[in-house]
Amino acid sequence: MASMDVISRNLMLDSLKEYAKRRIPYDLIRELDEKNEFPAQILKEMYDRDTLGVHLLMIPEEYGGVSGGTYDIYRVCEQLARIDLGIATGVFATFLGTDPLNVGGTEEQKEKWLKRIASENLLVAYAATEPDAGSDLVNLRTRAEHVVKNGKIAGYRITGNKQWISNGGVADMHTVLAMAPGGPSWFIVEKGMEGFSPNKHEDKHGIRLSNTAGLSLDNVYVPAENLIGMEEGKGLLQAQAVFGYTRVMVAAFGLGAGEEALEQAIRYSQQRIQGGGPLSDKQGYTHKLLVPNYVRMEGARSYIEFTSLRLDSGEHGLQTEGAIAKYGASEWGNKAADDAIQALGGYGYTKDFPVEKIKRDIKITCIYEGTSEVLEMTIYRGRWQEHLKSRGRYYMDQADRLDELHAKVPGAGAHAAALGLRALGAIMEECRVQKLTRHQHVTFKLGKMIAAAETAAIFSTAAAAEKYTETVRFDREGWQAMARVFAREAALSTCVEGLALVLGAADQAGNLADAVNLEAVQAEQKGMIADMDLVAAKLKQTFKAK
Amino acid sequence: MNIAVLIKQVPDSTEVKINPETGTLIRAGVPSILNPYDHFALEAALALKKKHGFKVTVVSMGPPQAKAVVQLALALGADEGVLLSDMAFAGSDTWATSYALAKGIKKVGKVDIIFAGMQAIDGDTAQTGPGVAQQLGIPQVTFCEHVDVDGRRVLARKQIDGGHELLEARPPVLVTMIMGKDYAPQHPSFLAVNGSLKKPFHVWNAEDIGAEAQYLGLKGSPTQVSKIYPPPQRGKAAMFSGSGQEGVAKILEIMKSEHFTGE
Amino acid sequence: MIEVSKKCIGCAKCVPVCPFAAINMIDKKAVMNEACTLCGACVQVCPVQAITITREEASAKDFSGYKGVWVYVELTETGDKAQKKIKPVTFELLSAGRRLADELGEDLCAVLLTDKNHNYEKDLGAYGADKVYMVEHDELFEYNTDVFSTVIVGLVNRHKPSSMLYGATIQGRDLAPRVASTLYVGLTADCTALAIKDGLLLQSRPAFGGNIMADILAPNSRPQMSTVRPNVMKMAEPVLGRTALVVREPAKLDKSLRRVKVLERKIAHDAGAVKIENANIVVSGGRGMKTKEKFKQLEELSKLLGGVVGASRAAVDLGFKEKTHQVGQSGTTVSPKLYLSFGISGAVQHIVGMKASDVIIAVNKDPNAPIFNVAKYGIVGDAHEIVPKLIEALKKK
Repeated sequence: MASMDVISRNLMLDSLKEYAKRRIPYDLIRELDEKNEFPAQILKEMYDRDTLGVHLLMIPEEYGGVSGGTYDIYRVCEQLARIDLGIATGVFATFLGTDPLNVGGTEEQKEKWLKRIASENLLVAYAATEPDAGSDLVNLRTRAEHVVKNGKIAGYRITGNKQWISNGGVADMHTVLAMAPGGPSWFIVEKGMEGFSPNKHEDKHGIRLSNTAGLSLDNVYVPAENLIGMEEGKGLLQAQAVFGYTRVMVAAFGLGAGEEALEQAIRYSQQRIQGGGPLSDKQGYTHKLLVPNYVRMEGARSYIEFTSLRLDSGEHGLQTEGAIAKYGASEWGNKAADDAIQALGGYGYTKDFPVEKIKRDIKITCIYEGTSEVLEMTIYRGRWQEHLKSRGRYYMDQADRLDELHAKVPGAGAHAAALGLRALGAIMEECRVQKLTRHQHVTFKLGKMIAAAETAAIFSTAAAAEKYTETVRFDREGWQAMARVFAREAALSTCVEGLALVLGAADQAGNLADAVNLEAVQAEQKGMIADMDLVAAKLKQTFKAK
Repeated sequence: MNIAVLIKQVPDSTEVKINPETGTLIRAGVPSILNPYDHFALEAALALKKKHGFKVTVVSMGPPQAKAVVQLALALGADEGVLLSDMAFAGSDTWATSYALAKGIKKVGKVDIIFAGMQAIDGDTAQTGPGVAQQLGIPQVTFCEHVDVDGRRVLARKQIDGGHELLEARPPVLVTMIMGKDYAPQHPSFLAVNGSLKKPFHVWNAEDIGAEAQYLGLKGSPTQVSKIYPPPQRGKAAMFSGSGQEGVAKILEIMKSEHFTGE
Repeated sequence: MIEVSKKCIGCAKCVPVCPFAAINMIDKKAVMNEACTLCGACVQVCPVQAITITREEASAKDFSGYKGVWVYVELTETGDKAQKKIKPVTFELLSAGRRLADELGEDLCAVLLTDKNHNYEKDLGAYGADKVYMVEHDELFEYNTDVFSTVIVGLVNRHKPSSMLYGATIQGRDLAPRVASTLYVGLTADCTALAIKDGLLLQSRPAFGGNIMADILAPNSRPQMSTVRPNVMKMAEPVLGRTALVVREPAKLDKSLRRVKVLERKIAHDAGAVKIENANIVVSGGRGMKTKEKFKQLEELSKLLGGVVGASRAAVDLGFKEKTHQVGQSGTTVSPKLYLSFGISGAVQHIVGMKASDVIIAVNKDPNAPIFNVAKYGIVGDAHEIVPKLIEALKKK
């Protein structure tokens, strides 16, 4: 679905923000977090089509929704995460649970279920995970057996257990993945069906406002029309078809929560006086705890936007891109939240300030919708294929294009990003020649380096663009400085870690040191501190103490 | 009856910041909002629409991006939206703005009640409402808390010092609204935002509304901004130390110099 | 018109300072869009003076016939139905107007519209008026926009003052724009300072919620009109016995002018307790108040000043005051005209809730307490010693 116009999108975001400001104060969140309680009333209001109707974003207009595109959903997810990641997860579960229908449902099924979700404000759960099958859905144990009447398949009896299902205990409707005789398939299971019962609400480290429960399915009968797509065996395809897209949503969670924590720290740092001046004026503080983190979050943002816009323009899959978006935003978001606590010192460690909760909440973004490790593998696999297919030109060609861009717009860090990509290409080539990818550790580390180097390329490209998107809250000077800082850091870590990685796995590294051009990457670090000073000043301007 | 509501897009002044080094405004990250007083006035108009079935048209003047507040008004329930937008309006003070708005309202057609917020939070002048009323030659009731209609009578409860007045006027009349205590602006649902795209929305320039260039923009504005500059800085406090009694005397002296003399 | 010359080097320094997001960089040159209000913020930051705003030269119009600084006299009801009294803001305006008139070498004139004069010229004269233009008419028994604006427009057209000041009160803010619009003259609202510059009235006012100041001129029309909020201009000491010359002005008024009718008027005498977020004065205490009993003295002090009591989180945690009075991050944010703090050191969490106050006076024992970084006035001293003495002093007054 293409995204909506910017005014409509911002009006919806404003409505969401205002609702949260009025109905979800931090005191309430804190209390619910302490009590491990799902805010049923709040979710009900957020799903109320006359109050907000956030769930309508996922539903096409013809079924009573508002036809949100990926970019819209990214923006709303980011905003939800700034409010509370538990509440965000409750909404996300409905998005996710609606997905198999959107992707694989027949026209009749969409007509029936999407319309019901839209008009009856149904809370939906997405039930895939099992005790023995997490991100790896192949080990699916839940079974769906045929119930034959008059020689025709009238329905299915589903038996099995699902684990860690968001909204599991509270959803009106569940999309359940089960092994049918024809292969993994999605089924719609309604609350209250005989044999279906949720287990206890989990006591979690974070996102404690999100209801998470296991599901027991004991011979639950569902009619044949509840088989999504009316064809067995399509379940994994239907699940994978939306990974690019669903991972963008979780990426937006990491982004929203991570930036929120940092922004609170930035505001705080301008008021806290230490040694004769505010912390926000001290490099030892800003250049360690604030600047690098915020720069990484903005890098993640540019990658999320890049992926969203491509999906909105009709591209399909984008599994590797979705993985990079989520991996970067969640890993860097975690680091950002951790450093935000440090930045608030003793205050940060108490529950009086929300960063402590954000830190606990944000951890989930590294776990659900594919753990960071699964993503490292996904990213590596996707790009390794490209590297082989292009005979090592994949990153070299991109680097050439970045250098062309750098010639036109020299201030956006495109050259540093190009150096990073060339180094990455050289390291991958060395790994191929020496067959180092037999070490799983090497492949996962490559996944991590790919994420950083590619994000640098996308960030620099975005920062060099004539016109910025609506989300950029800094002027050109500031945002380009951020892109430069990001690109330098990514290039340097790619070189240094890549060299170390190859040396650690092989007997010798040949002339890899020359190939990664370490000297040039180091030379490119010139101006780093001035840029960090500039970013620190821009952060202070944009997130002024309240 | 037909109702027109005058609305304005303003920077959220609670978020406007100033760069202490250069003394300039920092605009980055400052969101634009519908002026809260106008938001209240719009809701008052929509309440009359609900009660009596009146038609509500919103009229705004501003750059193209001010379409956002018109669309917000449509999403909240207004029937039709008008944005007066033209480079020729740039630099208009309250007089020239009132002139253009009055011309725009004339083009809208027959209007019985015009609602406006008492003032905009970016200027706080409270002049545009009365200015429009004067340009249209109709009576005004400013600083109203509540407006109702009884037949052909418009009844307005107006705030005055220490109390209120109940006033009666015959249409056409212009009313400006203060905000009720604890007023929290309504925001539209996602569905209503989506629906607002299907309502009539017009952008009119100076020519469309028949406004004469000599009364527009800087040229048509009697007042001119000659300079803008940061307010005096608040640095470290002016410090005083002494005995308790001296401290008391100092506090009294400060209060007097700052015009706080107690009740 | 605003113009960007070839001198523009595309440095984009003007882009972030524009309060209205009206500047885009196109082909490395600043280009203004419709949002431009010609406020001039960009002109000031341009390092190469590439941006110019051309204003029409002061027109050839001859304003030499416009003389006199006028002040609109606002009357307010008193307990005595028959006799209204002059609002204090009128005296403040006269005090300010006196200074302007002296500088211009013109008369200061009060404009009084009433159904019955009660020797008002005495007080008006005492506060500096040279003349009182007085319109006495039965139809002026109460304020009405149409009636009053018609009378004033007539007076201005007849006597041609150079400037005219109104109180920025509910009445003044209703009347002045109507008059200015009719006369097609400039009106500047809520001025905080007035001065004469090259014979023109230089009007200063805050904009953007007080984040920035603007100087306003109205060079091409007369009178130059301003409204000024109560308590902004300092009231001069009255000169008893100094009287103003009364100039009676005729007015032809009839009922048909009155298009808006008053059906009912209610003045509430007790509007109920003021909430802390709406209070004009907040008297706040912290840990330094020592005990709940001592903290109670703040109630008395606040009552004397007509304020509301606030408390720091420490004071609330110690049980000195209810949570509803807590000022700060986890309490309420306040921005009163006066914030008096006693024994509050000024933790960040407290400061964020009160630093927008107009005037902050802080009393604390520790001269390095962070509260002094946001306060306008700092008194180093023991709060629980100062509070009772302050109460005593205020009671004597």
